[in-house]
Amino acid sequence: MTEKTKSEVSEQKLVGLLAQYEDPGSLISACNHARESGYKKIDAFSPFPVHGIDPALGIPRTILPFFVLIIGLTGCAVGLGMQFYANAADWSPLFPGYSFMISGKPFFSLPANIPVTFEVVILSSALATFLGMWALNRLPRLANPLHRISRFKRVTNDKFFLLIETKDPQFDRTETESQLSSWGASVVEEVKEDLTDQQLPSWLQLAGLMTALLLLIPPVLIFRAEGMTNRKPRLHVVPDMDWQDKYKTQTLSPNLGDEKHPKFLFVDGRAMQEPIPGTIARGDLDTDSEYFRGIKSGTDAFATVSSAGARTSLQDDTRQDDAANDKPAEPNSDTAATSEPDWVTQFPTNVEVNLELLERGQDRFNIYCSVCHGYAGNGDGLVNTRALALAAAGKAQWTAAKSLNDPEIIKNPVGRIFDTISYGRGTMGPYKDQIPVEDRWAIVAYVRAIQGTGIKPESTTKAEEDAVAE
Amino acid sequence: MHEARIAKITSPIVSLKDNYVRLIPISLIVAAAGIGSALLLSLDMQRFSYAYLTSFCTLMSICLGGLFFVIIMNLTRAGWSVTLRRIAEIIAMCTLPMFFLYLPILVPVLTGSDAVYVWNAEGWSIHGTEAEKQAALAEADYPPPIEALKALYLNRYFFGIRMVAYFLAWGGMAWFFLSNSLKQDKTGDKSLSVKMQKNSTWMLILFAATLVFASFDFEMSLAPFWFSTMWPVYFFSGSMLSALATITLICLLLQRTGRVTDEITVEHYHDMGKLMFAFVVFWGYIAFSQFLLIWYANIPEETFWYAWRINPASDGSTTGWQWVSLLLLFGHLLIPLLALMARTVRRSKNFLFFATIYLLIMHWVDHFWIVMPQYTEITTAHTGPAAGLALSFNPLVDIPCVIGMAGVFVALFCLIARDRPLVPLKDPRLGEALAHHNP
Repeated sequence: MTEKTKSEVSEQKLVGLLAQYEDPGSLISACNHARESGYKKIDAFSPFPVHGIDPALGIPRTILPFFVLIIGLTGCAVGLGMQFYANAADWSPLFPGYSFMISGKPFFSLPANIPVTFEVVILSSALATFLGMWALNRLPRLANPLHRISRFKRVTNDKFFLLIETKDPQFDRTETESQLSSWGASVVEEVKEDLTDQQLPSWLQLAGLMTALLLLIPPVLIFRAEGMTNRKPRLHVVPDMDWQDKYKTQTLSPNLGDEKHPKFLFVDGRAMQEPIPGTIARGDLDTDSEYFRGIKSGTDAFATVSSAGARTSLQDDTRQDDAANDKPAEPNSDTAATSEPDWVTQFPTNVEVNLELLERGQDRFNIYCSVCHGYAGNGDGLVNTRALALAAAGKAQWTAAKSLNDPEIIKNPVGRIFDTISYGRGTMGPYKDQIPVEDRWAIVAYVRAIQGTGIKPESTTKAEEDAVAE
Repeated sequence: MHEARIAKITSPIVSLKDNYVRLIPISLIVAAAGIGSALLLSLDMQRFSYAYLTSFCTLMSICLGGLFFVIIMNLTRAGWSVTLRRIAEIIAMCTLPMFFLYLPILVPVLTGSDAVYVWNAEGWSIHGTEAEKQAALAEADYPPPIEALKALYLNRYFFGIRMVAYFLAWGGMAWFFLSNSLKQDKTGDKSLSVKMQKNSTWMLILFAATLVFASFDFEMSLAPFWFSTMWPVYFFSGSMLSALATITLICLLLQRTGRVTDEITVEHYHDMGKLMFAFVVFWGYIAFSQFLLIWYANIPEETFWYAWRINPASDGSTTGWQWVSLLLLFGHLLIPLLALMARTVRRSKNFLFFATIYLLIMHWVDHFWIVMPQYTEITTAHTGPAAGLALSFNPLVDIPCVIGMAGVFVALFCLIARDRPLVPLKDPRLGEALAHHNP
């Protein structure tokens, strides 16, 4: 009625008659009357659930529980079957699953499968209830003619309504209206459906169609791939790691005999074997003593293992073990000067000292060395400064990092500096494994370049003074 | 529409009256005969004690479930259950006299017998100085020394103190509800409902706290090395289920003999059926949860308890207990689960009559399954592989014993109910209960 001007121009269809009641009691009595008068297509609307409205309307009990039961039992079977397929169906040629041994239980052990089955039952039942409720109520419904009636808005507040639809065989426009009034309705109103804009907007239809077509592409691609052969090998991201002629670590040696009389390829039965003593890995021979160890060739040979502690031994590992055994006795290796090897005093021939090398050396020095020795080699690196402060407060033990500008240090030949970087001195640790040989030589070159320059960078002056003050 | 319905009791008889008073001596005779014959036929105090403990725990858990029903209904201001509440209050009130029924177990424990609870054996509850304890523990090869700590809890004196505390707490709570509810029958004072609701809050907590430790003490401590933190919940789930069945069964029996015919309707039975269905699922859920964790972890300290009940004996011979376990799985969970599912079934008084009796029998089987394997275990521990179920189930001992215990319950119920009204006559929510209607 409020939309009269609009409704006159549009095509309309009568859907039913809506009667308004003022309280739940009269609604129930009206429902009873309607049912007793033989109406079938009736529906009641109220702000809150009214007890007894279902029998008053003659609504049969819902079939939802049976629907849920069937879906729940299906979910039970699916949940159990899924686990059976995944865990224990490896004998099946059609659906081979994955048999994983989990904590020694049988592949298909019912107790372990109950929780998943239970959850699937709950999930499927809950979804069946939810979706079934929507389906049984014919939801979602984009528009309902009842919402065109402004009076009906109060159904969520304080009014009660009874609808008798025109679809009901007993429906008669005037007869039904008078009946509704006689059952205590305060107002009876026509419900009309607007037929003019029942169609979805054409752009929405098009968009829906396009989406549906686009959604078809992935399954089509999958089916295409399933149905065709391809001569190209499958894509392997790292192909050489997919097939390797090797045995995995911690596995049995290949058995050349049978189960009862095993004849292992390796006598100890393990696939893993230690290298034969004296084996040197490819590229690790390092015979160039000047380049790899900073010791003049001829004085450092395989055979001449000097007392200076294995500096000359060929394999670095062995050397380090020896060094570890020897060194603790002499905290400052300078004291062991008597047994010093013959260090090279010139850069090895294959190290070309140029600007590029020095820049590389500066770069590496700033990364690895400057934290202790400082950017200018004054021994004022941040770690050293901080550690000295802590040591001064009695909170740490620390041997100060050397200043590379120390005249004693400057006297060291390049070979010895190289050795210090490689194997450490005193509390300084070895950098052999972090820094490649060529970079170590670059650092040596850079150290030689800054040694004795005596430049103190301004940024570190303050920190050093503080450290000294403390 | 919601102007107060006039709450009116219309049944011709609302209390037990004459016939039921005559039932008291009869049921007492049944009780004496049942328990007495169990004692005579078992020819063995230990065997009898175990049968008696099974029956006792069955009945005790029903009474505790009744107490919980009363507390929770008061706490939630339940309107629908008002007409059922008095019966639950009377069942709850049985907890106090149940103390005297526990004396045949408790007194031997206090005098040092280890016939039922092995933790009461010499070397378990060691007293004296620390040196003496250590010496005693070093001597004893069984049980191993872990119970030095357990003995702080599991010793006869603390056990006795706890038992007294439990029964006083339960009896006190039950008496609080019954007396106030009866007072309201006379005065119609609505503030009593508020008072009961207010006090049911802390009482619920007290109930939970006592039930947890009581369930440990009654049954879990039979295997003192075994432990399950799920145990109290398991005990409670069975307890609540059987209490619901008992309340329903009592209502059905009372109505068949013309009592409270109008106040308890098919709607109440329907709701009790729903609750029983829910607690059947809950029992199964808890029982399985307890089993699954132990089964999966597969730690010997925990699995042996189930191994006695599920696995064959160590020599491969069947113990028979696995059939009882399967009976519980199907009889206590799956069959009632399917049977109680349909609405029409829950609304059928005839069906519920059989269902409640069936559930109570299953509840007894549950406790039999909990208690009895311990008897098998301790009696055969030194004689080789367990003889199993055949040794534990003697129809001439166990069945008379539980019938006798049922007789005790009927006598207690009639004694407490006597001529008291079987529904709260003036409860403010009586009208709601009378008009109760399931959608």
